[in-house]
Amino acid sequence: MKNLLKWTVTATVALSASGALADTKLTFRFNDSEREEMRAALDKFEAANPGITVELQTIAWNNARDQFLREASVGRGPDVVHIAFVWTQEMAEAGVVLPIEGLTRYGAFPNGFEDFIATDLTVYEGQHWGVPWSADTWAMVYRTDVLEAAGIDRLPETWDDLLADSRAIQASTDSIGFAFPGADQVWFPFNYYLWSNGLSIVTEDGAGGFEIGATVEELAEAMDYFRTYVDEGLAPRSILSVGVPHDPALLQPLLDGSQAIAVMPTNTYRQLLSAFEEANPGAEVPFASGVMMAGSQEPQTHLGGRTLVVNSNTKDPEAAWALVQFLTGADLFEEYYSNQFPAQRTLLDQIEYRPEESGFADQLANYTRTWGAYADSGAGVGQLWNLTARAVATSLSGQSSSVQAAEGLVAEVQRLLDN
Amino acid sequence: MTLSPMARDRISAFWMLLPTFLLLFAFYLYPTLYNLELSFTDITLLQLRQGGKNVGFANYVEFLQSSSFLDIAINTVFWLTFVSVSMMLILGLLMALLLNSQFLRRIRMTTVARLILLVPWATPPVVAVIAWRWLFDPKHGAINEFLMWTGLISDPITFLADLATVWPAINTIIIWNSTPLVAVALLAALQTIPEEQIEAAEIDGATRWQQFRFVVLPYLMPTLSILGLMSVIWTFNNFVYVWLATGAGPGTYTNVLATEIYMRAFIDMRIGYSSAIGVVMAVVMAIFGSLYFRFFGLMNMQEKLG
Repeated sequence: MKNLLKWTVTATVALSASGALADTKLTFRFNDSEREEMRAALDKFEAANPGITVELQTIAWNNARDQFLREASVGRGPDVVHIAFVWTQEMAEAGVVLPIEGLTRYGAFPNGFEDFIATDLTVYEGQHWGVPWSADTWAMVYRTDVLEAAGIDRLPETWDDLLADSRAIQASTDSIGFAFPGADQVWFPFNYYLWSNGLSIVTEDGAGGFEIGATVEELAEAMDYFRTYVDEGLAPRSILSVGVPHDPALLQPLLDGSQAIAVMPTNTYRQLLSAFEEANPGAEVPFASGVMMAGSQEPQTHLGGRTLVVNSNTKDPEAAWALVQFLTGADLFEEYYSNQFPAQRTLLDQIEYRPEESGFADQLANYTRTWGAYADSGAGVGQLWNLTARAVATSLSGQSSSVQAAEGLVAEVQRLLDN
Repeated sequence: MTLSPMARDRISAFWMLLPTFLLLFAFYLYPTLYNLELSFTDITLLQLRQGGKNVGFANYVEFLQSSSFLDIAINTVFWLTFVSVSMMLILGLLMALLLNSQFLRRIRMTTVARLILLVPWATPPVVAVIAWRWLFDPKHGAINEFLMWTGLISDPITFLADLATVWPAINTIIIWNSTPLVAVALLAALQTIPEEQIEAAEIDGATRWQQFRFVVLPYLMPTLSILGLMSVIWTFNNFVYVWLATGAGPGTYTNVLATEIYMRAFIDMRIGYSSAIGVVMAVVMAIFGSLYFRFFGLMNMQEKLG
């Protein structure tokens, strides 16, 4: 009788467990453009994990942060979420994600968590709250045939070279020299300009606090640099309404050869190369990439990327963690998510770059920095981004002078730091 | 105890109105009061679980004293609302008169013209903005191509990036998308005017303008008044057109109250502060509504017209 009871209990527990597994439904929110490829990868995950099904959700990056915060705050939201590196600490502060330390009991990464880069951006109150997934940065992109037509035989190295080359390209070929996104994402080239001149929007003050890392005059001078391209007609005025680097208004001139130089992130460059090859099968690819411009100091761009986080409301953290482990595997980056670079040192070392990508490889390996003080200051990278991009755009458009725009920016950033 | 007929009527009216009151409370009054409560706190998107602390009128003071307040107010009141709504009413009236004219009937185009008129109105605002963004595109846009072809311009105009053209461009999108509603409503009002009154005015020697001024327009005034009020409220509160067309840019040049709320709430994450802006918007509209009704004497006019 005792044995019968034991077997009954064991069978019931086993059946319930298998039933629970069979019922596991995860939602993965993924916001990049490789939706089809990611769906194929998830099909593979489902085949390898019978009983787990994964719904793939996509929303615009612009809304991704606040959408997840709103959902998770009321006990809802996807189980696994794809977010920007710099949002991780905010998510942890809001209490909407699970700490990695608690999840690793379900399984460890093949090369350990130490193998991931930029893990410092995921730390909040001594714990890690996200797994760095993909790494990216921005670099310069050149249309080599247009440079050649303009008689330019070496890539520019400094911001002054870039301006001079743009003028030369316009004078000799009537093509656009350098054009950049002039709205929201002017944030990136503007910061690169500041960093390469030893300046920044926010920096450590040396006494454990934070301060603005540039004077009004220095910020205004940086704004004036970019404004020169618009005022002199070197870049089309339409860039003022271009928010993202993959906007057709920026990519099309590169594809048709009416623009020589651009700045963009890794995945956009890979999409650009694919688009050219599709439109010109068998033709020589007239693109090259190079590191960012130098100022009074070495060039620097941000070490950016995406993090995977697990929603604190997930009903099945074990299955969610299994999905995170699958998504960080080498196969995913080789077969499905190949426009992105993995955020693991061992996988990064294995990448075979195309010759056209050498600039990105060099940039990523030697000339990147994290947002550091921007994220640590508590001002919020998103807020700094919005304020800075708006200020630069008011200067570029002529809505206000560069000095007025810089004064407004300094006042607003100071308010954020004071709060 | 027997109830009087009036008391019985009141009780039955109460029960019949109760579901409406409950719905209004749940979906209008409660959110409004909750928004008011949030506006006195410093709650952010990161503190939705913990809640914010009371800061009194600090959010209101900060907004009303901010350096951008005047620009945002002018953009919202003048450019977004006044220009758009006045053009919508004028063009809507002209369209309605055309659609009701003998001329269109004579050339048997009335039905076709009314169908064509409905196309912009049936287009969702999001689609309208995207379509117009392409039309305004400096390189591939049809408007620039046409202007260049006619020789009116030699270089393309960057409609949505140039300070001189960005507001007229946004106004164009709003007017294109919203005017048909005004025209259809006014057309319906025009068709209620008794033919005999216009014929009588004609026999009495009234000119076309006098017929319109003293016969047609008084009939249209109640409809125009309501359309004016509704258009002002819709346009004043509208977020979609500006945000999708320009993202409140270039810089902050086209920032309006609705886009300011969005940026403060979902970029700066300051829910309390953006709630205060929302309350300011609601108060402005409430004041406008009451003044508007008083100015037009709507009720009296309706009584006069029977």
